Amino acid sequence: MWIYVVRRLLYTIPIVLGVLLITFLLFKLIPGDISAELAGKAASPETIAEIRAELDWDKPLLLNFQAARQRGPMAVFESQFFIHFKKSLTFNFGRSIRSKENIATMLRTRAGPSLSLTLPMFVIAMVSSLTVALLVAMLRGTMWDYSIVLICVLGMSVPYLAFILFGQYYFAYKLQWFPIIGYEPGLGVWRYVALPVLIGALAGLGADVRFYRTVMLDEMNADYVRTAYAKGVAMPRVLFVHVLKNAMIPVLTRVVLAIPFLFLGSLLLERFFGIPGLGDMTIQAINSRDFPIVSAMTFIISILFALGNLTTDVCYAIVDPRISLS
Amino acid sequence: MTRTYTWTKYAMGAGALVYALALAGCDSTNNNDSPPNQVVRYGAISAKVRGLDPMDIGDTTSSGVASNFYECLFQYHYLKRPYVLEPALAADMPTYSEDRLTVTIPIRKDVYFHDDPCFPGGQGRQLVAEDFIYAWKRIAYLKNVSKNWWIFEKRIVGLDEFRETTKGIAKSDMDYRQKIAGLEAIDRFTVQIKLKKNVPDIEFRLTHLPLAPVPREAVEHYGDEFMNHPVGTGPFMLDSWTRGSKLVMVRNPKFREEKYPNEGEDGDEQAGLLVDAGKTLPLIDRAEYRVILEDQPYWLTFMNGETDAAGIPKDAFDSAINSDRELTPSMLTKGINLIKHPEPTTFWVGFNMQDPVAGTNLPLRQAMSLAFDRKKFIDLFTNGRGLPARGPLPPTVAAYTPDLSSPYTTFNLALATKKLAEARALHRKNHGGDLPVLKLIIGGTDATAVQMGQFNQRCFEAIGLQVKIDNLDWPSMQDKVKTKSAQMYSMGWIMDWPDPENMLLLWYGPNESPGPNNFNYRNEKFDELYDKITVMPASPQRTAMFRQMEQIVVDDLPCIFTTHRVSYYLKYNWYKNYKPHVYGYGLMKYLNIDKNERWRKVGH
Repeated sequence: MWIYVVRRLLYTIPIVLGVLLITFLLFKLIPGDISAELAGKAASPETIAEIRAELDWDKPLLLNFQAARQRGPMAVFESQFFIHFKKSLTFNFGRSIRSKENIATMLRTRAGPSLSLTLPMFVIAMVSSLTVALLVAMLRGTMWDYSIVLICVLGMSVPYLAFILFGQYYFAYKLQWFPIIGYEPGLGVWRYVALPVLIGALAGLGADVRFYRTVMLDEMNADYVRTAYAKGVAMPRVLFVHVLKNAMIPVLTRVVLAIPFLFLGSLLLERFFGIPGLGDMTIQAINSRDFPIVSAMTFIISILFALGNLTTDVCYAIVDPRISLS
Repeated sequence: MTRTYTWTKYAMGAGALVYALALAGCDSTNNNDSPPNQVVRYGAISAKVRGLDPMDIGDTTSSGVASNFYECLFQYHYLKRPYVLEPALAADMPTYSEDRLTVTIPIRKDVYFHDDPCFPGGQGRQLVAEDFIYAWKRIAYLKNVSKNWWIFEKRIVGLDEFRETTKGIAKSDMDYRQKIAGLEAIDRFTVQIKLKKNVPDIEFRLTHLPLAPVPREAVEHYGDEFMNHPVGTGPFMLDSWTRGSKLVMVRNPKFREEKYPNEGEDGDEQAGLLVDAGKTLPLIDRAEYRVILEDQPYWLTFMNGETDAAGIPKDAFDSAINSDRELTPSMLTKGINLIKHPEPTTFWVGFNMQDPVAGTNLPLRQAMSLAFDRKKFIDLFTNGRGLPARGPLPPTVAAYTPDLSSPYTTFNLALATKKLAEARALHRKNHGGDLPVLKLIIGGTDATAVQMGQFNQRCFEAIGLQVKIDNLDWPSMQDKVKTKSAQMYSMGWIMDWPDPENMLLLWYGPNESPGPNNFNYRNEKFDELYDKITVMPASPQRTAMFRQMEQIVVDDLPCIFTTHRVSYYLKYNWYKNYKPHVYGYGLMKYLNIDKNERWRKVGH
């Protein structure tokens, strides 16, 4: 297994490098130079040129042949891409070109708020949807089954934004059960993230329940379930031990691969509830062409995603002895 | 098997714990048993604060916040209108040499920087004249790429040359001790500025926040993080700042002696604006601002009394304002007041005057200006919060001319159609064939920006003119405009101070793109007048020249003037001393809160 893990880790390197190159090219291919905007409303051409030089935008995109001719072959790498490449690999993400904040500090301070929102949301959504899916699968063909599936479809049809607008208006403003907006680090965080967590978990429940229900139904019809019932095993044990374990492969695929994206936060929830997380930061960076932030986030998420994939494969082998990682 | 069951149990337990903790943390009310001891202002900021280093501030949100920490030599009188300046950090208004090229400004001796770890013993030191010179050199230093160099550019003896010498000097090697002939601390408490030419608006420039003094100790101590650690002389100090979430400021206990004004303009006394006359500033102890980017929470927090004042989001407008443009009864019963005031803004659809089609065809530009329905635009996109623009200057400047003479800056479809026929004939004569489809760039890709594009398109279609709309994000639009590759674009300008030069510079020939003249407009007579107004002291002759310049612009129509924005501002009764001030920043020191009234009404 270890050889497999090392091999997969080595595969991760070209994947991450490819992501770096694609992100860079995508950003550079979009028309529009923001240096004039960065220079302020009545900027001189000289200031604009200085900004371009500060950000290395005055250098060639991929290879610097002019510098190579003047200073030797190694200078060919004094290009925008290789400077960016070197910075990323050394985790020196630099500063935001808009706010001039240190990106490493931004990631550090914003990961906490994002995770305080997405992690409980993820756990609540996963546990609730698995539980409901198991129960619905057990009650297949009854009114309960039809009703819950109908509610799930209705829930999936309602836009995410509608959940947020309604939840904030009704539970925070009208009933005053929660603060309308805000964030506080430390233990007081629950006061502020409770409502967005519940809204986020509820909004995603429909799709998750339907997916897990299908997975569970496949297992419920298997021979071993009938055998277990025939041997007198209690229903909860059949469901939560036998069925759940055998349904783990698709569940793991969905769950483990979702974990890296928890770091991305939740754009809408963060914006509407004033949570200073990474989701809002990333979207704002994309909209304002703040390339260093977008690049840093893409780089980190690509590494986490590759690791998430590897973890999924290892988990497959753990939960299903028929799978070998050799 | 057992292991899986246990895991599931733990997962469910964790979920239940989350619910329990969450619900335990919920509060149904903010009520306390007694009113708070401190006078606290609660506000919302609807955009992100980018940074608090005055040198680098270029947006109104950051300026609004930073101006409570930093001050300039002069400030606007809080109550008097038209706007007049008074000393702030200066001990007196400046004195001028006979040729008005040497400006001497005495500095107050009772001003200290905020206490901060950057100073020995953490005690803020006394402000001296050198602090101004240092701050201004920071703006000039090329590697700092300050957004505010334009304030000084080509105006101070030796400063442009100083800037040249800093080319290529790394920040770590930069020596700010280098002497500049035009900027001198002639003694510990006197600044002297030598101008290359007369700069009639120099006092306004020196009132602009980016020119606030900063202590060298703080800049060196915090380095690149100085933007997060404001150390100024202002009435408030930064208490805490969670970027993108909350900013708290507290009263500066060492703030210089300053009193609330004793006089204002007619009506101020009746409006209750002189109740605090003569009281020591600032009047509040603490201010808490939350960053609220979305309209719904911004509005709900205000309606809940969690913020003292707010603008009106577009979707909430009809619930707050009736058809007579006054507050609805439900707002009145909540003790909310409405304050309306014009903003120093002008918006337009600009033409690239170097474009072979639009730039050479005056009847075409006249036809398009006549076809644009300003009133409908204002009603549709701003809920009526605007005034039709007929020329460059907004109503907030004394030289504003509401009756600017031009038949082409009003909505008149019949005349527009006639003018378009002339335009087609002229185009055929000059280029052959019919007018091509014109291209208009609208900044923004959101639904409102798309609707604005469609509105423009419909206006021009009404006279039979085809216009293709390109909705671009702001950087792409800027790029097109600054590289002169846009044919038409929608834009505007917010004036920094009330001198009309600050608006008219946008039509000055030598300022063409990538400078601020995005129209790439050139008119010899206009440029000649502009050269004169930039060196003439304020006088009726200068005001007459503004009018001449405006007339030239509306005759040539390098843009379709569309609107001047009007602000609708809501505040609760407990929020005292608020008077709209369109140029001034750092006005929170004048504001007051009736904490007992707020506590009675909303319980916090």
